[in-house]
Amino acid sequence: MTIAWWQILLLTLYAGYQILDELQINSSAGSAVFAGFISGLIMGDLKTGLYIGGMMQLTILGVGTFGGASRIDANSGTVLATAFAVSVGMDPKQAMAAIAVPVAALMIQTDILGRFANTYFAHKIDKDIENFQYKKIERHFLMGAISWSLSRMLPVFLALAFGGGLVSKVVGYLNGDLKWLGDGLSVAGAVLPAVGFAILLRYLPVKKNFAYLILGFVITAILTTIFGNIQTLGTSVMGLDKTLVANFNSLPMLAIALIGLALAYISYKNNTEKEQAPKAPAESAAVNNNSEGEIEDDEL
Amino acid sequence: MTNSNKTKTTGYKLTAADFKQINRRSLFGFQLGWNYERMQGSGYLYTILPQLRKLYGDDTPELKRMMKLHAQFFNTSNFFNTIVTGIDLALEEEEGEKSAETVNGIKTGLMGPFAAIGDAIFGALVPAIFGAIAADMAVKGNPLGVLIWVIACIAIMIFRWSQLKFAYREGTQLVTTMQHRLNALTAAATQLGVFMVGALVATMINVKIAWAPMIGDVKVDLQNNLDMLLPRLLPAVIVLGIYWMLGKKSMTSTKAIFIVLFISIALSALGVISK
Repeated sequence: MTIAWWQILLLTLYAGYQILDELQINSSAGSAVFAGFISGLIMGDLKTGLYIGGMMQLTILGVGTFGGASRIDANSGTVLATAFAVSVGMDPKQAMAAIAVPVAALMIQTDILGRFANTYFAHKIDKDIENFQYKKIERHFLMGAISWSLSRMLPVFLALAFGGGLVSKVVGYLNGDLKWLGDGLSVAGAVLPAVGFAILLRYLPVKKNFAYLILGFVITAILTTIFGNIQTLGTSVMGLDKTLVANFNSLPMLAIALIGLALAYISYKNNTEKEQAPKAPAESAAVNNNSEGEIEDDEL
Repeated sequence: MTNSNKTKTTGYKLTAADFKQINRRSLFGFQLGWNYERMQGSGYLYTILPQLRKLYGDDTPELKRMMKLHAQFFNTSNFFNTIVTGIDLALEEEEGEKSAETVNGIKTGLMGPFAAIGDAIFGALVPAIFGAIAADMAVKGNPLGVLIWVIACIAIMIFRWSQLKFAYREGTQLVTTMQHRLNALTAAATQLGVFMVGALVATMINVKIAWAPMIGDVKVDLQNNLDMLLPRLLPAVIVLGIYWMLGKKSMTSTKAIFIVLFISIALSALGVISK
């Protein structure tokens, strides 16, 4: 199956829109998991899209737009990986490690280009201020949207339109002579979320909140093992006994989040109540801790 | 300062329609002009340009001076920028061009702290919590989590919309009165974030040790031994290893991603780890 022209068009349009969304209204349409959702819909394979988007989301969990530094563009990576995974029939885990990650890293360059282009418009605005040309100030400002969008749309379009042949050749090798590499890419795809978690821990004041890290990990590790074992047990018992009909779901993440929320709420209450009594200049909390060990720059 | 003749403004007072316009421009346009030289500078000017024109009158030297001032370097969290705008406009409306230095001080003084809080909450925590829930469900093939995140984002948009008027009313006092509340909130939010990362480490990294050495003629199932110690120990060790690596000098997140990619492929090829 090849990618139809209308699919290329829609995916390219989304690539242009997602960066604007992330910069502006931030509806989460500019997130990797949403990118997977939408490209899955467009390509007619929601499951693959959601999988790649979900895994990419976890990989870049901590990579926010810190200090305006250019960062890995997981969304364009997800769009391309989903498109090719569906059209060439690639294993989603392999597509994530072999396409989404390298593409996401390469796209940092076009992001930098886009930001440079906007410097030109900023100087135009200086001139407009001198001349009291209010409409032009606004127009030159809004033109920034073009450089932002094109920095994503052009590479995505070119890759979708001309990359298919190359990708199917690579997939042929990964399933044939280079099977070890194909398997390795799948394993890498499974490990990559660890980077996202580690980055996030770098940004959070983890030393001060180490107890919460242990609680979150141990509670979930135990519960996910129990849920997993019950699932395995249930499915095999259902295979033996046809009269047993039940749904064995996996551990819901929302429930875990609520336990965390309760713990955080208790400490918030304690903190604000302590503060009812007038007190000397507030010690600056959490935020300051971020500075230690923070990653200064996300650029390559 | 009470002598309004000296302020050289038109005496215009901001209305509800003005706030609406600023919010609309902030929400849909604030960062479009982002560039390396002045970052959000032109964005700041763009959001309040119509109000500046009303306050100082078109084609006046005062307007030019303030337009130039507002086009200078500015960079803060785009989730909190209208708090700065609100305090700024309250001042300018009162004191006009004379407030230029104070306004400049407030802008440069506030952009740092708000950038830090904004990045901590909206750059790290919200994606950690809602992104994690969405990703967790997505990987299992369920799009519902994506929807939950969108709903959370809409709630955040409403919050962003509401803060301008609030900041305008409270003015400069806001920063001192809110300081403690904000600190407590950030502290609680970070605790939740750290908790969630722990939970994610335990669920989302699905690799195990495939290597099973023979001791004598007994095959040692390393993975099973680890599981008896503590389930999911391997993912925890991996994350701690990467955490340590990220603390190295000149290490970037992008480099780290590629290092992990290559090491995983190598270990998989050697048969040490598998899915």
